[in-house]
Amino acid sequence: MIPKPSTIKRHLEAIITGLKYIFVKNRLTLRYPEMVQLLSENYRGMIKYYMDRCISCTLCARICPADAIKMYTVGENKLPGINYMRCIFCGFCVDICPKEALEFTNIHDLAYYTREEQIQKPIEFSKGPPKPIFKKEPMKIVVKLDKSRGLKYERT
Amino acid sequence: MSEDKFMQVLIGPQHPGSGHMRFIVKMDGDIISEFEPDIGYVHRAVEKIAESKRYIQIVPLVERPILADTANINLGYILALERLLGIDAPPRAQYLRTLLAEINRIHSHLYGLGIHGIMIGSSTIFMWCFADREIWIELAQELTGARITYSYMIPGGVRRDLPNGFNEKLSKAIAYMEERLKDYEKIFINNPVVTARLIDVGIIKKDDAIKLGIVGPNLRASGVAYDVRKIEPYCAYPEIDFDIIVRKEGDAYSRVLVRFEEIKQSMKIVKQVVEKIPSGPIINESYLKLIPPKLREKAEQTGIWKMPAIFINLKPRKGEAISRVEAGRGEVTHYIVSDGSPNPYRFRVVTPSFRNLIAFKYTMPGHRLADIPAIYGSLDYFPPSADR
Repeated sequence: MIPKPSTIKRHLEAIITGLKYIFVKNRLTLRYPEMVQLLSENYRGMIKYYMDRCISCTLCARICPADAIKMYTVGENKLPGINYMRCIFCGFCVDICPKEALEFTNIHDLAYYTREEQIQKPIEFSKGPPKPIFKKEPMKIVVKLDKSRGLKYERT
Repeated sequence: MSEDKFMQVLIGPQHPGSGHMRFIVKMDGDIISEFEPDIGYVHRAVEKIAESKRYIQIVPLVERPILADTANINLGYILALERLLGIDAPPRAQYLRTLLAEINRIHSHLYGLGIHGIMIGSSTIFMWCFADREIWIELAQELTGARITYSYMIPGGVRRDLPNGFNEKLSKAIAYMEERLKDYEKIFINNPVVTARLIDVGIIKKDDAIKLGIVGPNLRASGVAYDVRKIEPYCAYPEIDFDIIVRKEGDAYSRVLVRFEEIKQSMKIVKQVVEKIPSGPIINESYLKLIPPKLREKAEQTGIWKMPAIFINLKPRKGEAISRVEAGRGEVTHYIVSDGSPNPYRFRVVTPSFRNLIAFKYTMPGHRLADIPAIYGSLDYFPPSADR
């Protein structure tokens, strides 16, 4: 069967469009951990806890939809601790805190060596999320939106 | 001949074959004579768990079944809850809700288009869709702080205001996407390999579509102009100009086209939203005054609002409420029964995938085995959403 001319035209269009992208390279993946994307300031990442601001109101533990935040008794106070195995990063605890004792960070490299390390009692929780360890200092990348390429990764 | 001429083929429940479900197919040679979808493999009892949660804690929970379209299902739940609480979101919040719902619709459609592409063997379109989906996820992340599970809408408003420079980023994304969609047409939509696989395959006639009760783009591809955004407008939709995409053919190809055109319509809506968005508060006045003044001042500068402590103990009036929302895959219905306590007495979600599921049983018979992926993909079925 001989294909219609319109079919041949559409075939050619598809092939030419495909060929175009051989030359217009638009890589959309990042070579983690050699390259790390810097997340924006308002990213809902791991949570930082300021123990000195905390008034032990328990609101964070009560709103937590995943039972990740639990109150522990430290001396005479009740202070929150977090279980990162349960946390779903909804950020309700941060938003409900009346004293800004909880804060978002833009860290989301959630990797630990042991299970126990992920259950953080108030003291550990107040130390903040750990700084991710890389074998070699990674290249920091920011994502920019671009009219011609969509996403563009730029070195900072 | 006896019954022996039929062969039973089980497809799935391994994920690469069929998603989180099993198809029990009765084959007559290469022709499907009976097709039975067997669902429930990812049932997580979301509705029952909701009965033990506080109203605000259900916000992240309802998102879990439909991860590709979290904003719309979140919106439906919040609308039903607001009806029970007897409050309303201020106009600016309504526009922000529409904005996120449409950004989510775009990346949900790209997800569906990409999965369909790989199902019929076009890995190019799969890569393209998932790469371009990243742009919309990046925009949503800018607005909400999360990539997929936004939990952005709360009773009486939204959590965050438009960040600085968002409009500029959005216009760049739209400009890119409009150009890019032309290439989509050339490499996928008009590609003779694709049209050969999809045209006149899996036809759902208009009457059948209505009788089966399917929803969303699948229904509109069968010639029924039904869209909750037009029929029962909510949020900012009454003030926004957009068209319902309808096609008459009802085949797999027309369903792809409806989704493809809806991406363009959603971009049209998003453009209007950022132009028309009114200024003002983003949380209802009655909740706004409960936020400590110091935090309120700070929130006005940063645009990231705090929640009032009352959210833990939301006690809606005794009664029931229902809401309908047009999600990416179709109409989502939320039904809440309240007995006046801080937990719902009964919670029910009817998801679009559950309503579209029946289409498999009546569309597949008569086709060849190789047509299963072509039809399955075109229905944009999402098993976790049906199983809940």
